[in-house]
Amino acid sequence: MRTTEQLTRIFGQEAATRVSTARLLVVGAGGIGCELLKDLSMSGFQHIEAVDLDTIDLSNLNRQFLFQRRHIKRPKSEVAIQAIRDFNPGIDAHARQANIKEPTFDVDWFSQFDLVLNALDNLEARRHVNTVCLAAHVPLIESGTAGYLGQVTVIKGGETECFECHPKPVERKTFPICTIRSTPSAPIHCIVWAKNYLFAQLFGERQDDEDMTAEEDAENMEELKQLREESTALAKLAEAMGSPEFARVVFEKVFSSDIARLLSMADMWKHRQPPTQLDYDELESAALDSDFDPMSPGTHSAMSLTDAFALFKYTAARLAQRLDSDEQGTRGSISFDKDDEDALNFVAATASLRSYVFGIDQTSIFETKAMAGNIIPAIATTNAVVAGMMVTQAIMVVSEQMSRCHTAYVSYNSKRSRSVLSEPLALPNPVCAVCRRRYLTLRVADLSRTTLGDVVDYLHMLAETENNLYLGEDISVVEGSRILYDLDFEDNMEKSMEELGLWRGRMITVAREDLDDVESVAGTVPVVLSIAGPRVEDASQPLDLDIEGFELIPEFAPLPPPTPDEAVPNGDQLHFADDDVAVVVDDSDGDEGLATLHHVKVDNISDELAKRKLSDIGVRGESSIKRRAVATDDEATISE
Amino acid sequence: MSQHNRVISKEEEALYDRQIRLWGMEAQSRLRNCSILFVGVKTVTLEACKNLVLGGIGRLSIYDPQPITKLDLETQYYFNESHIGQPKDKVLAEKLAVLNPLVDISAVSSLDDIAGVDLVVSIGRQTMGEWRRKGVKSILADAFGLFGYIFVDCLDSHEYIEEGRVKDPKTGESEVVRSSKVATYKSFEESVKAKVAGGNALRLARKYSPLVFVCQALATMDERVQADSKLAVSQFIKDSLEQRELPQGFVGDELLERVQASWGTEFVPSAAVVGGTLAQEVLKIITLKDMPANNWFTYDGLVSEGIACTL
Repeated sequence: MRTTEQLTRIFGQEAATRVSTARLLVVGAGGIGCELLKDLSMSGFQHIEAVDLDTIDLSNLNRQFLFQRRHIKRPKSEVAIQAIRDFNPGIDAHARQANIKEPTFDVDWFSQFDLVLNALDNLEARRHVNTVCLAAHVPLIESGTAGYLGQVTVIKGGETECFECHPKPVERKTFPICTIRSTPSAPIHCIVWAKNYLFAQLFGERQDDEDMTAEEDAENMEELKQLREESTALAKLAEAMGSPEFARVVFEKVFSSDIARLLSMADMWKHRQPPTQLDYDELESAALDSDFDPMSPGTHSAMSLTDAFALFKYTAARLAQRLDSDEQGTRGSISFDKDDEDALNFVAATASLRSYVFGIDQTSIFETKAMAGNIIPAIATTNAVVAGMMVTQAIMVVSEQMSRCHTAYVSYNSKRSRSVLSEPLALPNPVCAVCRRRYLTLRVADLSRTTLGDVVDYLHMLAETENNLYLGEDISVVEGSRILYDLDFEDNMEKSMEELGLWRGRMITVAREDLDDVESVAGTVPVVLSIAGPRVEDASQPLDLDIEGFELIPEFAPLPPPTPDEAVPNGDQLHFADDDVAVVVDDSDGDEGLATLHHVKVDNISDELAKRKLSDIGVRGESSIKRRAVATDDEATISE
Repeated sequence: MSQHNRVISKEEEALYDRQIRLWGMEAQSRLRNCSILFVGVKTVTLEACKNLVLGGIGRLSIYDPQPITKLDLETQYYFNESHIGQPKDKVLAEKLAVLNPLVDISAVSSLDDIAGVDLVVSIGRQTMGEWRRKGVKSILADAFGLFGYIFVDCLDSHEYIEEGRVKDPKTGESEVVRSSKVATYKSFEESVKAKVAGGNALRLARKYSPLVFVCQALATMDERVQADSKLAVSQFIKDSLEQRELPQGFVGDELLERVQASWGTEFVPSAAVVGGTLAQEVLKIITLKDMPANNWFTYDGLVSEGIACTL
């Protein structure tokens, strides 16, 4: 075991002891994660658990220094933990190759840790961990890097801002559906079309028709109808995959007949350059004369029309071959992966063809890969700096010196004198929809026996007997975007929690509906119940139902009075706990809304619930709800 | 540049993809062909060298014949019990080679022959005059406890490219504009003697962090004092600051106390920040992209402040 004399000299014995006994969870073992695990284990931390779903790829090796070539394809968490065990024999460090959103990692699991550190690369996981840490009352150190930039902050429920106190700007721009499907004007539009429409419809997961309950206006109604028909027709073409004519029928549809249909809409092209249809046979014979090799296309230069055609034919055939097809027409699917050469080249080729159709600038495969794969450039140095800053803060957190914690940034601008700078931690947003909540634990012995009605009755009983629940008779129970129960909706009372999909790890929100009558501030703060099993100690005689954790609830300040003409956020995308639906507030200029980029299951979310949620986070005034189905891919990291 | 004139291979393109997307092929190519010498092995050396090897420099030479001690094991993670007594440079070179087989890494037995070296980085030991005389760019750096510093000497004329974005007022589109610039650097001797413009503490604080004067003092401290007691070090710093004629109380007692507590220790997280920043400065010097710090950078890990200034 490595000694820690110097650590003790710098931070004192008390802190050194706290460090050695603290139990840490590290979420992510990639760029920041490798550096973080090394720093933690070399700074006296002895109990570390690392969770990461990913496996090692060649492109990781320029910065994820715990990995070498021989580790490629192995799980990151395992190799990283093995490496720090090699640095520190005897350390109590464990790895899990898993998705942190799995039900196993429930509130009870999280609460075994003294501190959680995020080393993630996507918003979705960060939001999830933020919520569970609030529910488990465990402090969280959040981080992010992109190129030369990085930041670190400390989140402690009730004391500091949480990750969702202020909406993060959506890094990945979304585009109106008509731009993608009818009137593209930039390379990115063609790439999004190729990846999220063409590739997805042909090779992706079999979808029902796009579930677009769009609020159609008179102008786009006809267009949207046409687009839906086209999507359906394309999906049908996917069934032709086994035949040698597959590439031809697809090509002729999307680059010829669909374009003809667009050209027939004269109004669309009054002020725009109209598209040109492409001819399959013409291109096929031109390709025969070319010495372009689709097996190794040049990645740094734009493709000619003929080359793009050849690459399209080649990759379409390869992808078709990869998919099984049996007589019933059911087949597997390929999800887009930027490191899957066939998929990437298919997208690059078809995006290139579409760019030729619409007279848009070409991009090289290298550039397309970055846009299609949402690649964030990454280097070793930024990650090393950010991880170092995280660990110093970690020592402060576990040794109860929160006053020394701060948000820290690393920047690059060589004109400014400060490349590493800090600012004090911010206070929580008083109307935050995530941290202005009373997080309690709902322990259920048997989820298949206990009904929703049992839970509601229990809540009513507690409200009468306990002073610290602050809920009245008039409550609503919601899970994600579903209303489970309120005074007008009792259909689910007899259903078991299991039947309703209320499993361990899920959270249900209980809010008072009679807000005008509420005297206590606590009453205005919704309760979030994390569903968990019985306490380990009670295993032999578990209570059917129990709610606990009242003593950990922080004080909440009264809500500020609403300002009458608070502006409605412009085109903001608001993510709720259930990522299946994004609800967009339509801004009054009727400007760009959202595009359907993916096909996902859409749970029912009533306009009422949506408006209530908006009101919850401080949006007042008129808002119209447009519905779009949006899913998230691997997302970009921090915003600047 | 130096001895090699290697072109980026397909394999390197794949390996370095994520960083090529940040600084471009040309910069990667320059890295590929450079030769760097590190003198002195401390934790910050491990950090900076790790970053540079991962980044794909051409050649790394390390000089530090000192034997590895038990205390080193606390923070110098590439060393373990079996290495005690062995020369630092040799063991480090072996360990770093595993990170990237494409980099040429070796321990050197003397500092006499530095032919082909593009940049010398001295860690914790002052050999700066030597390099300037030989016409080689150099850096002096150290990381101790929560603190660290970097001093850069790119000689009399360092040419570099600065990239900026310029927006076309008509189309609203912005394009990248590259301009060629030249910067001049002071020698270490000049810098430590530089007169600091008088005036009150407030005005001075706008230009300089108090820490930079403390670090300058530490950088000039010779080995005898370094090996001496904490009290002697403390006195040396106070004497140096007095010679600088800084306003009363500009360098506070609290800072001096913290520096004293950190002096003679190592702390991996701060070494990582300083090592990361150091590696980034090396990259700027080699790739000729952006101006390397001119000329001091200091870091205080307690408050996460990394400040550059010219002294």
